[in-house]
Amino acid sequence: MEKFIFRIHRYDGTTKWVQEYQFPYEENKTVLWALTKIKDEIDPTLNFTSACRHAICGSCGVRINGTSYLGCKTPLDEIIETFDSKMLTFEPLKNYDVIRDLVIDWKPKMKKLKLVKPWLIPTEEGSVEKGFKQTEQEFSKIASPTDCILCGVCTSECGQLNVNDGVYLDPFILNKAYRFALDSRDGSSNEHIQPVLDNELWKCIHCMQCVTNCPKGIPLTDQIAYLRKTTMKMGAKDNQGARHAYAFYDDVKKVGRLNEMMLPIKTDGMVKTIGKRVPMAARMVYKGKINPLHMPKKVNGIEGIRKIYKYAQEVSK
Amino acid sequence: MRYGFFPGCTLESAAGELMISTKKVASALGIELIELDGWTCCGASHIQDVDEFLATSVNARNLALAEKLDAPLMTVCNTCTLMLRTTKKDLDEDPELKKKVNKGLRESGLEYKGTSEVTHLLWALIQDYGIENLKKLVKKPLTGLKVANFYGCHIVRPPQIMGFENHRNPRSMEMIAEALGAECVDFDQRLACCGFHAVFPAEKEVLKLTATNCISSKMAGADCMVTPCPLCQMQLDMYQPDAQKGYSADIEIPILHLPQLIGLALGYSPEELAINRHIVNAVPKLKESLGV
Repeated sequence: MEKFIFRIHRYDGTTKWVQEYQFPYEENKTVLWALTKIKDEIDPTLNFTSACRHAICGSCGVRINGTSYLGCKTPLDEIIETFDSKMLTFEPLKNYDVIRDLVIDWKPKMKKLKLVKPWLIPTEEGSVEKGFKQTEQEFSKIASPTDCILCGVCTSECGQLNVNDGVYLDPFILNKAYRFALDSRDGSSNEHIQPVLDNELWKCIHCMQCVTNCPKGIPLTDQIAYLRKTTMKMGAKDNQGARHAYAFYDDVKKVGRLNEMMLPIKTDGMVKTIGKRVPMAARMVYKGKINPLHMPKKVNGIEGIRKIYKYAQEVSK
Repeated sequence: MRYGFFPGCTLESAAGELMISTKKVASALGIELIELDGWTCCGASHIQDVDEFLATSVNARNLALAEKLDAPLMTVCNTCTLMLRTTKKDLDEDPELKKKVNKGLRESGLEYKGTSEVTHLLWALIQDYGIENLKKLVKKPLTGLKVANFYGCHIVRPPQIMGFENHRNPRSMEMIAEALGAECVDFDQRLACCGFHAVFPAEKEVLKLTATNCISSKMAGADCMVTPCPLCQMQLDMYQPDAQKGYSADIEIPILHLPQLIGLALGYSPEELAINRHIVNAVPKLKESLGV
């Protein structure tokens, strides 16, 4: 008989251990089905959270073989196919404190979430009497971000949070800031966006894990680009992230290609570059990895590229 | 086999050795690479932060250059591949956007039609060239060399845009390395991020990531790491001495570009593949394991 072998990372508040559970394989079942079966039929002391079983409550996020999934939405057969094995390792979501077994602590995250004021700051046009009406088009802007069910899968997979001291905002928090900043009924988008800038917005490492694993398919990385663009429109251009982005933008306009030699200077300034990057540059020149005199020449068709820039500026107006 | 070649900015500068090794390998395999005339930077996942429409337009122009050659576009960089494929998907799925973008291209006599696919050397070798054909050309099997395949994010994620293989458990790098006779090690950071795109604003965190990536592959017994992306290679190699400063454990491990690994098996010397240009010297390990 085919069997599932689940190795579940357990924690009772003081001790951690890995416990193995075996039970018969059944096809067309979800991850949550299996966890429930273990708790109901094998070991009632196993702790995990779940409620709706329909990808609405967001409480059954769990990590299997190092990747985060929403338990009720994920077919076990898909996981077996991915890893070519019925032996699976279960862990609680990453980048959270663990309370028991697969149960994580949301309290610190909720405190952090409040930084971006995840509520409507009403416009002056709306009132209790008149209501806060929205057109279909206005609603469509927030339709996708309001799909977030706070399951925590994005946090668990976030490459920056894996190495961050805790200041960087979790992707679902960035989503909330975006959602209220774009809401036509909200009159103070800066109040949602400024805290995002103040809390390491530019530290996103572009790993694409959030957008890849979000069970609701929310375009989180597009949102991060939007938030960055908006902070620059608000005037916050004098920081490493903004200067770095503009270095690419300006170089393509000027010659078509990136000038790698000038990139550190444009991003960090001359003083910091000399202080920090001279040993690295010296190592690279010594190895023949770079030629410090290499300056990219204008590409064929640079005039056309500049026309595209002009056109894009007109379009964005 | 004929491709419109999109080298990307790093190949003209800090990853010159990838240009050298890619051209050597392509010519040995009989793959014709025609460099796109007038290609520009793909935006490197940064330009959209300033102007998303511009980022799309610039890459539509790059794609139109490949279409003019009537050939698929090939890159050797994960991020270039993702940027170009993102643009292609956006334009192919949104006729209004395509029309708007083409209006900007018209002034330079270009038009994006959607006729050229975007691929990466890694994929082309498997999908177009064939592993069995690659195997036939192996002159010096990499027997005894243990490699840690570091995929990099943008060759697999997001799967809606990349979609070549299962993004949670890809096999393409292992297929190539094994075809060359190398032994692949499994390691925790196989699908991790190198952090390159944020090395300026998040230096502390990214160096920690570099150290983790290096130690993870070392602990798995690898002689070297191999990556299909020059940005991952730069982060893991160029920044390794800086990452080492934060840790007492020895993190040192050589980092090869994918075409360099292939080139070794095709019989080229490390010097011919410009492996001697790397910051972490790979040559002693290669000599020890392969006797090259």
